[in-house]
Amino acid sequence: MYLKHDQITPARLSGIVDAAAHAVPPAFPLDATVAVNPFLGQSDEDLATASARLARVAGAPLTPPRATHAAAMAEGRITDADLLAALDASTAPDKPADLAALKTAAQQGGAPAKSLPTLAELAMAETGTDWPSIIDRTFGLWAAGQFDRGQALWTPAPGRDAYAAWRTWASYDLTPEIAGLAGFCAHAADAPDTPDRAILRASDRLGLTEDAAGSVFHRLLMDLGGWAQHGRWLSWQAELAGGTDDTPAQLLAIRLVWEEALLAHAPQIGAQWADTLAAHARPVVPSADQAVDAILQEAAERAHQRRLAAALVGATEAAPTRPALQAAFCIDVRSEVFRRALESQDPAIETIGFAGFFGLPLAHTAHGSDVVEAHLPVLLNPAMHSTSHGTAQGEHTARIAARATRAWGRFRQAAVSSFAFVEAAGPVYGVKLLRDALGADKTAPGTPSPAPRLDPDPGPDAKAAAAAAALKAMSLARGHGRVVLLLGHGAQVTNNPHESAYHCGACGGHTGEVSARLLAALLNDPEVRAALPAHGVDVPADTLFLAGLHDTTTDAVTLYRDAAAPDHAEDTRRIARWLKRAGAAARAERAARLPGATAQDIAARAVNWAELRPEWGLAGCAAFIAAPRAATAGVDLGGRAFLHSYDWRADDGFGTLELILTAPVVVASWISLQYYGSAVAPVAFGGGTKLIHNVVGGIGVVQGNGGKLRPGLPWQAVHDGDALAHDPLRLSVMIEAPQDRITAILERHPDVRALFDNGWMHLFALEDGQVAARYRPGLTWAAEAAVCSGPGRAA
Amino acid sequence: MMMIPPLSMLAPLVLLAVAAMAAAQPGRRPGHLPRLSELAALASLALALGGAAQLVAFGPVRVALPDTGAGFALGLDALSATMTVLVAFIGWVVMRYARTYLDGEAREGLFHGLMLAALAAVLVLVQAANLPVMILAFVAVGIALRHLLLFYPERPAARRAAAKFSIVWHAGDLALLAATGLLASAFGTVDLAALATAGSAAAAQGALPATAHLAVAALVLAAMLKTAAFPLHGWLTEVMEAPTPVSALLHAGIINGGGYLLIRTADVVQASPGGMAALVMLGGLTALFGAVVMLTQSAIKTALAWSTVAQMGFMLLQCGLGLWPLALLHIVAHSMYKAHAFLGSGGAVRAVAGLKRPGPVAVPDIGAVMKSFALALLLYGAVATLFSLAAGPKSPQALALGAMLIFGVAYLVAQGLADAAPAALTRRTGLAALGAALAYFTFQQVAGALWGAQLPPVPVAGPLEWALIVLAVASFGLVAFAQALFPLWAHHPATAGLRVHLANGLYLNALLDRLIGGFRAPASR
Repeated sequence: MYLKHDQITPARLSGIVDAAAHAVPPAFPLDATVAVNPFLGQSDEDLATASARLARVAGAPLTPPRATHAAAMAEGRITDADLLAALDASTAPDKPADLAALKTAAQQGGAPAKSLPTLAELAMAETGTDWPSIIDRTFGLWAAGQFDRGQALWTPAPGRDAYAAWRTWASYDLTPEIAGLAGFCAHAADAPDTPDRAILRASDRLGLTEDAAGSVFHRLLMDLGGWAQHGRWLSWQAELAGGTDDTPAQLLAIRLVWEEALLAHAPQIGAQWADTLAAHARPVVPSADQAVDAILQEAAERAHQRRLAAALVGATEAAPTRPALQAAFCIDVRSEVFRRALESQDPAIETIGFAGFFGLPLAHTAHGSDVVEAHLPVLLNPAMHSTSHGTAQGEHTARIAARATRAWGRFRQAAVSSFAFVEAAGPVYGVKLLRDALGADKTAPGTPSPAPRLDPDPGPDAKAAAAAAALKAMSLARGHGRVVLLLGHGAQVTNNPHESAYHCGACGGHTGEVSARLLAALLNDPEVRAALPAHGVDVPADTLFLAGLHDTTTDAVTLYRDAAAPDHAEDTRRIARWLKRAGAAARAERAARLPGATAQDIAARAVNWAELRPEWGLAGCAAFIAAPRAATAGVDLGGRAFLHSYDWRADDGFGTLELILTAPVVVASWISLQYYGSAVAPVAFGGGTKLIHNVVGGIGVVQGNGGKLRPGLPWQAVHDGDALAHDPLRLSVMIEAPQDRITAILERHPDVRALFDNGWMHLFALEDGQVAARYRPGLTWAAEAAVCSGPGRAA
Repeated sequence: MMMIPPLSMLAPLVLLAVAAMAAAQPGRRPGHLPRLSELAALASLALALGGAAQLVAFGPVRVALPDTGAGFALGLDALSATMTVLVAFIGWVVMRYARTYLDGEAREGLFHGLMLAALAAVLVLVQAANLPVMILAFVAVGIALRHLLLFYPERPAARRAAAKFSIVWHAGDLALLAATGLLASAFGTVDLAALATAGSAAAAQGALPATAHLAVAALVLAAMLKTAAFPLHGWLTEVMEAPTPVSALLHAGIINGGGYLLIRTADVVQASPGGMAALVMLGGLTALFGAVVMLTQSAIKTALAWSTVAQMGFMLLQCGLGLWPLALLHIVAHSMYKAHAFLGSGGAVRAVAGLKRPGPVAVPDIGAVMKSFALALLLYGAVATLFSLAAGPKSPQALALGAMLIFGVAYLVAQGLADAAPAALTRRTGLAALGAALAYFTFQQVAGALWGAQLPPVPVAGPLEWALIVLAVASFGLVAFAQALFPLWAHHPATAGLRVHLANGLYLNALLDRLIGGFRAPASR
């Protein structure tokens, strides 16, 4: 023991470990991934403080390079007024004195984010052996097997905790010893038998103090990259279900066992380590540079808000006649383009924005499947069960086919039989190569699966209650058109590990097909219709609910004609025509943004197995507007705004407002911050380049040969090769509702309030479709001067 | 006599012409270059097909520059035409893929240029009529591939992989150079056709000069280095550091070079029983080793790379047994499969998610596995008899190989025989097994018809050959049996250590790293 220090008590330590685990965001597995706010653990801090913290523990910058902002200033996109306003709003004690000082600072380089070294890094500098990458490789190889969901045929024994499994692994794995760390197998075998004790022992040996421990643990968890975030996802799932899971702590224990070994291997690094610990123990305080970066970032956001406010010129007159079509879309920013295109087809078309799960919290089993999938925002627990199972015979046939395919797959993969497979089936792959090279595989979309239904059937009254609640939340309790179209969305992509990231986040990374079809079926059910008035919803007898799926890659809409509707045959045909024309218009608009795309060939991207940018997903998202559509109708928001239909005058008790602020707004902030994090800190929070992605365990990707799991969005999802396709801006939330009602809701929800108070989102109140006030930290509002609309209406 | 030279020989020129244009536009979004690259690859495929048509119409041709017979000589025959068409086809698919895949990369133009250059070098390699041309092509392939592996030079892992690849690949070049010298001194020629004649004459006399034995040893060594055979397989399992199209081209086009070298020199190699025995043993070992390691790999491309190690080992085993047409068939079949597997590796997330949907996997017990082996052997007996009646008797080597493969088919049958498997599933896997057996024998027949005339016949099995046959069949049978019973033992604590060592590829790569400084801290870190 080279350091004298007070040992941390086990009780205190467990709290510190838990806090460190919660400082890391969860990474959802790629089979059903959703965006996660990478700064989830830092939402109680402002941007500058989080910058200081993440610089220390991850070497990650949280703002774009200053040159980006300087260029925007030079081009006039950020004005002096924006800078001044951001400077005034800053509470940093050492902020630039005036505008001139800020502008000077903007031209300078700023300080690069540099992490405090781990013992592995110190040992590398001392011994010349690349310990960090050896840890990455050996840990990555172990973790890939440990968290594998069936990709390898020979995975480790199932059901063992990570730490125990790793100890077994490490006591056999000779790689560290070959690399020069003699005795590591014995060190792992002799490590304490529980993660708690391992952390306690390592804390002692590493000389951790209470002040430093949390920061050191956070540093080491960030060092494990996506593996720690996958562990955090496991604990997230357990916590959502009311349980606990300590996988992050187990992974931390493993990493600490490594640190112990390296300190013992190179004891001469002790003095440097003591300095590092002292730095960890210091409180996290942003530097003057980080304060400037935060002000410049705020200025960039104010510039965007200024343009957005100018585009919102006030509510248009609502059409007095009954709409021929009401089309409900997901709030997803990709819907904005299509809604505009659809509305422009005919004045009798009205569109609505609502979270794409349409308020049905479903646990769903698909056709031919035993797996229960959660089709709802990840903040919620499922409350209804649904299934697309067909007849018993149909299910049996589908399963036998799938099981035979699976058996063939194992034949291909297994030892010895893989040789027989190649000899017998290899030449057939010549045909497959030809087919896939030409994008001629037409099997992908396939026939639609059987219509989903609730299972068990909760009875007409419960169904009517659910349906009525959904309609009310959508501000659709009355005034229905002849046809109400419920449009889920999903993206058809080929050969893309991140496929689910393009699907509907509100449906838990699945397409919105099941949710839309189920709600339409509920609302067309005569028994449900008869029970609706009792729940305060009046639907005219001649209203048909029609479900559809908007393919966000091709802008084609599939309509599900699940209910026989002979009276609406002509309506449906007309709607199909509108949708087709709207799709063409949307494609033309989107093609301008997609590199190498034309309106004609955009659909081919969906079936091109080499396509890395099938569409832009939610890249560019910058605003969230909850207001009647009249506030935004006809305004080109460039596919950058979440649009939630909301009429506060129809919201008795402001229950819907509370729902919007606590669910869709939070989800939108997660999406916006995931794009933000993947754009400004791609090394820590981005998925890396897709060109060398290597799918691992069925849960994620690594780069190249292996190593760290890479969470977040791939570089190609935020960058078009020349420039960022996602302008990293924190979300501007604009809500048309009385300011005091918004304040009251924020007061009741401190987690949501923290996101606004700490600047992770901006909040504005709208009045009659125009920005009226800006929320200030501490539940206050500042009136915003009305802005004159400029010549262009584009935001 | 034919007036125009074989069209396939022009294919490398077309590719190189466009590759040269890439030098002028090495950067991002290089105008029409990506489209031109694909067109050049398509043109080279057309030329390769044209060459094959000329072969059918006019027979084999040899073209030399200068026109003295030596020097830069290319040949058109059944073997070279097959490989040229194969490589050109894979090349076109890969270049078409790269056209989209590389869009927006900082060194996009350079990538296309390097890929075309590598492809051109492989097309020269497979059309080489003498060993010096082959060596030149091998060296060129190595240089181009090294640059492709360094496409992201800032990645230390990429630099490590490129360094390992270069060492092993160029060591193979040196071995081939030595073989060439020894062959020249033994037979007085380095021309492949002349060597084939001399080799089969020497085999007929039953006496090979000592230098020729050494030459075969060097040839075998070169082939093993280039096909990533045990124990120097490590370089192949680390080359996922380059973009996916590189992996596809490498695993489907380039890795075959070593096998093709042996097939081209089959007459000489077969005259050396020691060389053949080495191929059987090291090939068989590599095949089983790679296949078992593959089971433990949870990363798709890594698993595919280990699969290539195994498949190349199996191909070497086929060479060692004297089943040359089957070895070439394996090269063709494996290339198609592996190119597709790499290019489509992004679908792994969806594939894994789909695995659990139809319910749990039915696990066969010992009884079911025994039954499946009996059924598979029965099936094999029936199909083999059928084909023997139709196409003449099979050599013991071919029958042994068939038995090894049928052990694999038994695994398919076993999955359908598990107690929990419904009858409909049993029927399906049974039909699939029958289909696999029929397809396998049919392709064998086709291979013999296409290439048999140009390759030496299977050697008459002596005591050494029989010993090797028994060893190979027994070891493959044992592994196949263990594989079929796999769920019953794979998670037993007693096998935990075995799994760790296998997942690490028995540390041969780590040892190589230690040897070449792969664990050292990178300079730029």
